[in-house]
Amino acid sequence: MTFLRKLALTTALVAGLSAPVAAEDIKFGLLQDFTAVYTFVTGQYNQGQQDYLALANAEGTLGEGNTVTAIVRDTGNQPQRGIEAYNRAKEEGAVLFDFLSTPVSAAILDQAQADKNVVITPAHGRGDASDGTVFPYVFPMMATYWAQAANLIEHMKNTGGLQGKKIAIVHIDSPFGREPGPILEALSKQEGFEFQAFPYASPGNEQSAAWSEVRRYRPDYVLIWGAGGGQAVSVKTAIQNGIAPEQIHSVIWLAETDAANVGPQMKGVKRFEATAAGADHPIIQRIQEKVIDTGKGSGEAANVGTSYYNLGVATMAVAVEAARLGLEGGQPLTGETLKAGFEKIAGYDAEGLMPPVTITAEDHQGGGAGRVSEWDGEKWVPVSDWHAAYPDLIRQVIEKSAADYKAGH
Amino acid sequence: MFYRLSGTYHTSYESDRRLWKVPADRWLVAVILVLAVLAPFLVSPLYLGSYVLPWVIWSAAALSLTLLMGMAGQLHFGFAAVMAIGAYASIHLVRAGVPFELALLLSGLIAAVIGAVFGGAALRVKGLYLVMATLAMQYLVDWVVVNVPAISGGAHATLRTPAVTFLFLPLDSLASRYWLALGWAAVLTVFFMNVKRSSFGRALVAIRDKDFAAAVIGVDPFRTKLVAFFTSSFMGGVSGAILAFCFYRAVTPEQFGFNVSIQLVAMVLVGGLGSVIGAYLGAGFVLLAPIFLTNIISGLAASGWVPVSQNFLSHLPLMIYGAMIIGFLLLEPLGLAKIYDNIRKYFLVWPFRHARS
Repeated sequence: MTFLRKLALTTALVAGLSAPVAAEDIKFGLLQDFTAVYTFVTGQYNQGQQDYLALANAEGTLGEGNTVTAIVRDTGNQPQRGIEAYNRAKEEGAVLFDFLSTPVSAAILDQAQADKNVVITPAHGRGDASDGTVFPYVFPMMATYWAQAANLIEHMKNTGGLQGKKIAIVHIDSPFGREPGPILEALSKQEGFEFQAFPYASPGNEQSAAWSEVRRYRPDYVLIWGAGGGQAVSVKTAIQNGIAPEQIHSVIWLAETDAANVGPQMKGVKRFEATAAGADHPIIQRIQEKVIDTGKGSGEAANVGTSYYNLGVATMAVAVEAARLGLEGGQPLTGETLKAGFEKIAGYDAEGLMPPVTITAEDHQGGGAGRVSEWDGEKWVPVSDWHAAYPDLIRQVIEKSAADYKAGH
Repeated sequence: MFYRLSGTYHTSYESDRRLWKVPADRWLVAVILVLAVLAPFLVSPLYLGSYVLPWVIWSAAALSLTLLMGMAGQLHFGFAAVMAIGAYASIHLVRAGVPFELALLLSGLIAAVIGAVFGGAALRVKGLYLVMATLAMQYLVDWVVVNVPAISGGAHATLRTPAVTFLFLPLDSLASRYWLALGWAAVLTVFFMNVKRSSFGRALVAIRDKDFAAAVIGVDPFRTKLVAFFTSSFMGGVSGAILAFCFYRAVTPEQFGFNVSIQLVAMVLVGGLGSVIGAYLGAGFVLLAPIFLTNIISGLAASGWVPVSQNFLSHLPLMIYGAMIIGFLLLEPLGLAKIYDNIRKYFLVWPFRHARS
């Protein structure tokens, strides 16, 4: 009996000592809209996300055999389906969520905060979520729409000046379209330009009435604020109304597909970008080599290197970096340790794919840097450096709006 | 079979007055009610919060619209706007210090008044023109919600629902919110079943079938339609408030868009016009079928059964869903409720062939 007990104890001890630290399968919920409103971006964006996770797993980025699995579901941009997908992925153990949908993100926000699960809203979502003190578990982690508008305005200032100039903002008539309003209001006072908004009805297939008004306004610059098919219509209709392509500046949602739809006259149009486009970047090249060429890619190989694909890659690069830093505190990775990991990110630029982001407990936007690029007829070429424009003014707007949210709005 | 009704007819007023005349139906309703009340103890929070709770709330909303579309035959493509009015009104009333129970009623009343004003204006036209008029209501309410910060807090704002109690019971747990929603759905169900056999209900049906013929026999079409708009909007407004407080716990402008109105119409049509059980079946089908199909297809894909791209994988459930709708409509144009009715009638006189309706 004693012998048996000793044997059992010894076996248990040896097993305990020799057993490796259990590798963890970290789950990210990529619960997005593949079938309704945001389809113009989701396919390529999600493909980039999944391919980067495959690369990180192949390269062992998280160490100790840890891997990341994506839980991918279509939510159709419907809050009900988003809530179901969130609850299910939460039960499956997901600690990070990317909905790429404003209505779904809004419906989940409070629940995710209560569950202490991280929600990322890169290049979309609420601008005020940048305030980590009010939104502790939400990470825009890239330039919000407010920072994007400021960046474009600053580019106009640097290239042609703003004093006494007229800017037309032609936007889809939705909450998203109205997003740059407060920033333009504040900047117009500071920089001495005037602006006028010209809304067009959703989804933006027909904008001629708005652009006739714009023509009469005779703007020096035009800001187009739409998404999907409406963007190509904006550029085409603007040019038909005598606006030069060089005058047109777009929010982040203007990609290679839109350029192809517009045709040769697109040359000279500018847009904001949060990540570089093209396949000539170390991470994208390694994805090509280790994921696409080995047949592990999650979609069409032709999409690799497009704007939205690279945006997806960058989002997961930052998320995996946050997970890696979070795991430094020990396994398993929870929403809380992942949050702590995000807040440790300092100067991370995904090997040059994006501007360096530094995320702190107060600033979940990571600085809000980006740059302006121009369509040269074949590809997007950067015409400014990575930088954050008017950071103090943006921060003021963020804090005021976050305070309103805290008060119940 | 379990209905045990072959050759049995109602021979007394008492038995004819019952809501459910067949004993088996009464048993069935009782069992479903018990299961529904016990649902928080029977199903996991995932299923209660993501399936049962929204199903109950949207069934209540579909019932509200059924009164107007199914019984009175008046098309309404702006019902989400009615729910939005109820949702926003209830939040502002509670914030102003009005007790939640009263806020629910007042929000329904506000939705009813606004709904009836639009209804009154819209009732000068019929059919597709009425659709256009109600669409105008949808877009007008959408515009007001987005552009008047005093109502929505701003275009991108999220109004969070304050913590409330209902009859002194705090609504903070999922189960308590579910029970409130279930209670509201039960009230609407009983109301609807009684309306169907009241003079008002018969007037509605008369108008639906032929309004000028109804006028000939003494039914005032305009007044009756207006009352239908008022009642339906009241129920829709309260359902919107219940949706805000019990499910979303926050309101944003995009939660009550045009697509939601279309979904509601689809619930009523797929379920079966004018049917109580149809509202439940239709809401369940429109709300839950895409979710079930997405999960099944994703599960199959994860096991390697469906080797297709993510994009196609996401569209596949919708293709099956669309095929199911067409299939149902081909099989039984009167909706899911009629399919249930056919099955019920088959067993009502089993093993014989025909049942009296």
